[in-house]
Amino acid sequence: MIWQTLYDNLPFLMHGTWVALQLLAALLALGLVLGLTLALGQVYGPWPARLGGWAFERVFRGVPAVVLLLLFYYGVTDFVALSSFLAAVLALGLRSAAYQSQIFRGAIQSVPAGQMQAARAIGMGRWQAIRTIVLPQAARHAIGPWTNEFSSELKATSLAYVIGVVELTRQAKYIVSNTQGNILIVFGVVALIYFIVNRLGNAVLYRVEARLAVPGFERRSP
Amino acid sequence: MTKSDEEVLRVEDLHKRYGDHAVLRGVSLTLTRGEAKVVMGSSGTGKSTLLRCINHLSPPDAGRVLLEGQPLTPATLNAMRRHIAFVFQDFNLFTHLKVIDNVRLGQRRILKRSKAAATERAMQELERVGLADRAHYYPAQLSGGQQQRASIARALAMDPKVILFDEPTSALDPELTGEVVTVMKQLASEGMTMLVVSHEVGFARTAADEIVFMDGGTIVEQGPPSTLFANPAHERTRAFLKVITHQESA
Ligand SMILES: Nc1ncnc2c1ncn2[C@@H]1O[C@H](COP(=O)(O)OP(=O)(O)O)[C@@H](O)[C@H]1O
Ligand SMILES: [Mg+2]
Repeated sequence: MIWQTLYDNLPFLMHGTWVALQLLAALLALGLVLGLTLALGQVYGPWPARLGGWAFERVFRGVPAVVLLLLFYYGVTDFVALSSFLAAVLALGLRSAAYQSQIFRGAIQSVPAGQMQAARAIGMGRWQAIRTIVLPQAARHAIGPWTNEFSSELKATSLAYVIGVVELTRQAKYIVSNTQGNILIVFGVVALIYFIVNRLGNAVLYRVEARLAVPGFERRSP
Repeated sequence: MTKSDEEVLRVEDLHKRYGDHAVLRGVSLTLTRGEAKVVMGSSGTGKSTLLRCINHLSPPDAGRVLLEGQPLTPATLNAMRRHIAFVFQDFNLFTHLKVIDNVRLGQRRILKRSKAAATERAMQELERVGLADRAHYYPAQLSGGQQQRASIARALAMDPKVILFDEPTSALDPELTGEVVTVMKQLASEGMTMLVVSHEVGFARTAADEIVFMDGGTIVEQGPPSTLFANPAHERTRAFLKVITHQESA
């Protein structure tokens, strides 16, 4: 009976998973681009960039994700029309940028200063040295913590349901309402789906990490 | 050792201070083509700062650096640095790149050589420093002496007009300094123009055209090794030479 219900609702669960994955990809991409920019500004930029990055990090790491979602959806939509999906991408993406900038800043700072000096000494410009020497090494320091960030943000996508994004968790809520009950089993299946997506994502990231791990940058054990 | 009188590097009255500590207090010197000059002096005397000011890794507060008559300025800096190679005390090989890629990188990105040309040249230079069989190792897989030889190959592949060495052997275990000194002696005898901060007495005696003795941010004395080692004019020089020549024989 419940299995029949689950089977009938499988397309909705799959669609919810798909929406969650889209949200995850968009927020991680926004967080990556902005987080890297903030980190570079904080390490190499003038003081306004350092101060701005610091303030941004504090704010977005200091406010609960649900509050950010509500702020962006109800607060910002008074001024610009935002779909709930877009509001979720912004709220969670900016928050992820704060976390990712912290990861990248630490990774950049753990590249020894002599690497930059050696690059400048052969005639590379500052930006060229950052691109060809510092960032490839920083990536190797960042990939481990970034894998954790991936997992956190996958789980955080479920919070988008409070502003009506029809992602996996909200789909599950609909199924429970429509079928009066079965909470345990429906959410059990949903938990399993999150778990599987997380494992698959981690497996991919571990492979990236293993490819980056050259002697001198040995990978930490997974 | 094959010194001519054509001037390659001219350093004019360099000054550098960190906070209220005047580290360089007016240093001038010249290097002619093929000349090997060794800078000595006790620790903290400003030798590294001098080398770093010459290629403007630390911009000097005052004074000028001219390479073949052209002054280094912020605008010409990147273009001129390729002609002034720097060999660091702790090697600073690019950790994420294989030895061969360390030697190819500047050739490809700065000199815009083709991959084939850069590879051929890299292998020649690795051959010259005795590391051809380590071309595909990562720096972390090499001994300190091998890493320093690789960094010399990286410098040579850029066809520098002058190489600055900052205590190239002092991060090495004693049994590994010989292999690096051998390479440097060979370069000096082949007519490479080099400014070497080093306390390797063996190198200074046999390969240097001139010894420069620094103390407290200035040059106190300079002259050919035979003169300077045999009868140093200043008390500071005498005391310092006594210490390092004693270490040498110990
Ligand atoms: N980046 C820096 N900031 C502040 N002080 C420095 C810096 N670099 C060097 N110094 C100081 O300048 C002095 C000379 O240093 P250095 O040139 O490294 O001497 P040497 O190479 O002769 O041992 C030292 O007292 C050192 O502490
Ligand atoms: Mg020094």
